[in-house]
Parts: sequence; structure tokens; C-alpha cells
Amino acid sequence: MEMIATLRADAAKLLSEGRAKLVIGYQARGMHRAPLFVSDPAKVDRLVYDEACKQNLAVYLRKPEVRVKGPAAIVAPPAVMRSLMVLASETQLAEATVLAVDTNAYHGVLDLAGVAALLKEKYADLAPPKELFDELAKLNAMSPEERARFWTGQFAKCTRCYACRAACPGCYCLRCIVEKNVPQWVSTAAAQHGNYEWHVIRAFHQAGRCTLCGACEAACPQGIPLMLLNLTISEEIAKRFGEKAGYDPAAKPVVGSWKPGDDEEFIR
Amino acid sequence: MAHTEPQTAQAAAGYQPRIVAFVCNWCTYAGADLAGTSRMLYPPNVRIVKLPCTGRIDPLFILKAFEGGADAVLVSGCHPGDCHYTSGNYHARRRWAIFRRLLDLTGIDERRLFFSWVSAAEGAKFADLIRSVTAKVAAIGSFEPANPARRRPWK
Repeated sequence: MEMIATLRADAAKLLSEGRAKLVIGYQARGMHRAPLFVSDPAKVDRLVYDEACKQNLAVYLRKPEVRVKGPAAIVAPPAVMRSLMVLASETQLAEATVLAVDTNAYHGVLDLAGVAALLKEKYADLAPPKELFDELAKLNAMSPEERARFWTGQFAKCTRCYACRAACPGCYCLRCIVEKNVPQWVSTAAAQHGNYEWHVIRAFHQAGRCTLCGACEAACPQGIPLMLLNLTISEEIAKRFGEKAGYDPAAKPVVGSWKPGDDEEFIR
Repeated sequence: MAHTEPQTAQAAAGYQPRIVAFVCNWCTYAGADLAGTSRMLYPPNVRIVKLPCTGRIDPLFILKAFEGGADAVLVSGCHPGDCHYTSGNYHARRRWAIFRRLLDLTGIDERRLFFSWVSAAEGAKFADLIRSVTAKVAAIGSFEPANPARRRPWK
């Protein structure tokens, strides 16, 4: 309780001192948690934080309609902090005012360097739940034909609403590949080939950038297990290149940089 | 793109694999050219798509080939250090390493995706590569109906 009171007080202070014109945080709507945009210091009491706050708020920092209301301060649990590091490393974010929270701690108001230090010190081993690894192992134990059937069934549910894209802080392109239609690379019809291409290319475009926050899968109204795709890529990158996204604000992109000695055992 | 016609059922004896090869202009294409001018025989199952550099090969190209009914895709370019644009193949190598893993997870397994380096002097290597890739794909057979990326008619 004391924790949330301090957070609210800090938010009010940032707003009244003019260090931020907008605070992006969470509010309670019954059992649900929704994003809250507050610019009036008198209204910061609506800010809440608990383990039910799953949405990745970093996604709003790149939205033009939010940016015009800025500069914004953001309530950030560890998953959001990692997204901020990715945005900073991709020069999408020059500076940030971060109200760093966790379910049982409040770390105060930090800047990007402060967030980087905090992540290294306290959250260096963030990982998705064990069940996800188990599920992926199960899938990898199948034959390729079984895997193809599994994914064809999963992708068949897709309605191409692009909620996965909208929820992802990494998907900030103003014009997505799927909207490019001269030529039409990815079919927009909710049919097998277009769905397959969309999900594979969405996951691949996050390669080396995905922090496994789970926002895409949580946003999917059809329950497609997108995290299995994301985890596969992250695991491969960790194994091959020893990189883990979302810790270094000056990190080079994994896809887009190279080393002469990169492993090439699969190339003849 | 006239690749929407349904694939006819394969006759076991007459089955010929359809392989799409994305190659770079400076090394592998020149290597293929050398194989041809040297009169080296290799199976005609490969459709070569020439690009300026392996760095130009968007992963979407590979998906498009499978969408259009390819049984396998081969990607080939200059050896490391030989890139005409100095680093295109190094960039491509990282991309492939990750992308092949993703395709494998989603059902386009590693038996249908081939990568190689073939220089302009390696006509014999190119002919040999095409022979071995064609033999491997012929052995596992058509990608129909398992191909998860295949374009299918509306139901």
C-alpha cells in the first residue's frame, strides 16, 4: 500500500513540476487492468499496480497521438523496462522518465541509465515461465509434418486483426510489411498461406529485439501461441550469438550486425 | 503471379522435385554459368532466381517460393570474405541461422532448406550441389500436402 502511495506521489510531483506532461500507468477496471493516461496531478490516485498489470505500456511511447501529449513518464515493471532498453538501442527513445515498479518493490523515478543499471543488478535472469519451455520441447519432439499440422491449425484461427502487432513495443514501423501492397508480399486474406507468412514474418521481424514480454500472445483474441515462435528465436539467438534483448541501451541489433566468426555449420 | 493452379497429384515414378534457388549475381550465378559453359550435367529441377547479393534475399522470398509450391529452396552466395559488397553474405548468414530455425519449428523442416557458398570458380561444386540437393529432395518426396505455407484455393 505504501508502495503505490509513493508511486502516486512521485507521479503527481513529476506532473506538477512539469518534468512530465503525461503519466502512462495502469488503472483498475473491476478485475481488469487497463492503461491510464493522466496529465492532471490531482488525478494520480487512479494509478494502481499489481501482478494483474500485464500490458506492455512501452508500446504507447512511439504512438504519434501519445507523443504530442508528452513528454511522458511511464510506469514500468521489469518487462516494460526491457522494452525501453530495446527502443533506446534502436534510437527510438533518446531519454525516458520511468517510475520503476515491481510486484513487491518500488524503485523510484529513474532515467534510461538508471533503468539499465537496475535491470542488470536485480532482473538479469528474467525468463518466461517453465511451462512455455516444456510446451516448446513437446513441439520440437514432433515430426515436421505434425508440427506443420499443429501450426496450420493454430494459424487457421487467425482473423488478421493485428492485435499482436498493436500490442508489441517493437512493432513501431509506421508502415508494416503487411500493408505494403505493390507488390503484395503478404496476403491479407485470413487464409492459410497469408496467415502462415504473417505469423512467421512478424516473429522474424522481432528477432533479436523481442524481450519475451508476452504482450502479443496476451493480446491475441484467438489464443494463438505466439510465444512459442518468439521463444524459439530468442533461444536460437542466445545459443548462437549469446545475446539477450532488453538489457543494454547501446546494444547493436542482432540481425543487422555480424561477426566474421559466426557459426555456419548449416552452410555447405 | 501465376502460381495459383492446384498441384497435380504426383505420379510416383514421374515425380520431379521443384527446387527454387536464390543465388547472388557475383559468385553462385557465375558459378552456375561456369557449370553450363563447361558442359557439366546437372538435373533441370532447379529454378534459379538471380539477385544482386545474398544480403538482398529477404526471408519473405523463401516463404513465397514455398507458397508457390516449391519442394525445397536453396540459397547460395559468395564465400565469407568474397562478398562483392563486402558484408552482404555475413548479414545473410545471421538471418538464415535464425530463420531456418523458425521455419523448422513451423513445419518447413531442415531437409527442405539448403544453404551453400559457391564461388564463380566453383562450377563443379555448383553442379555437384544441384545433383545432391535434387537427389535428397527426390528421396523425401513432394512437399504436398504437408506444406504449411502453400497457397490453396478458397474453400
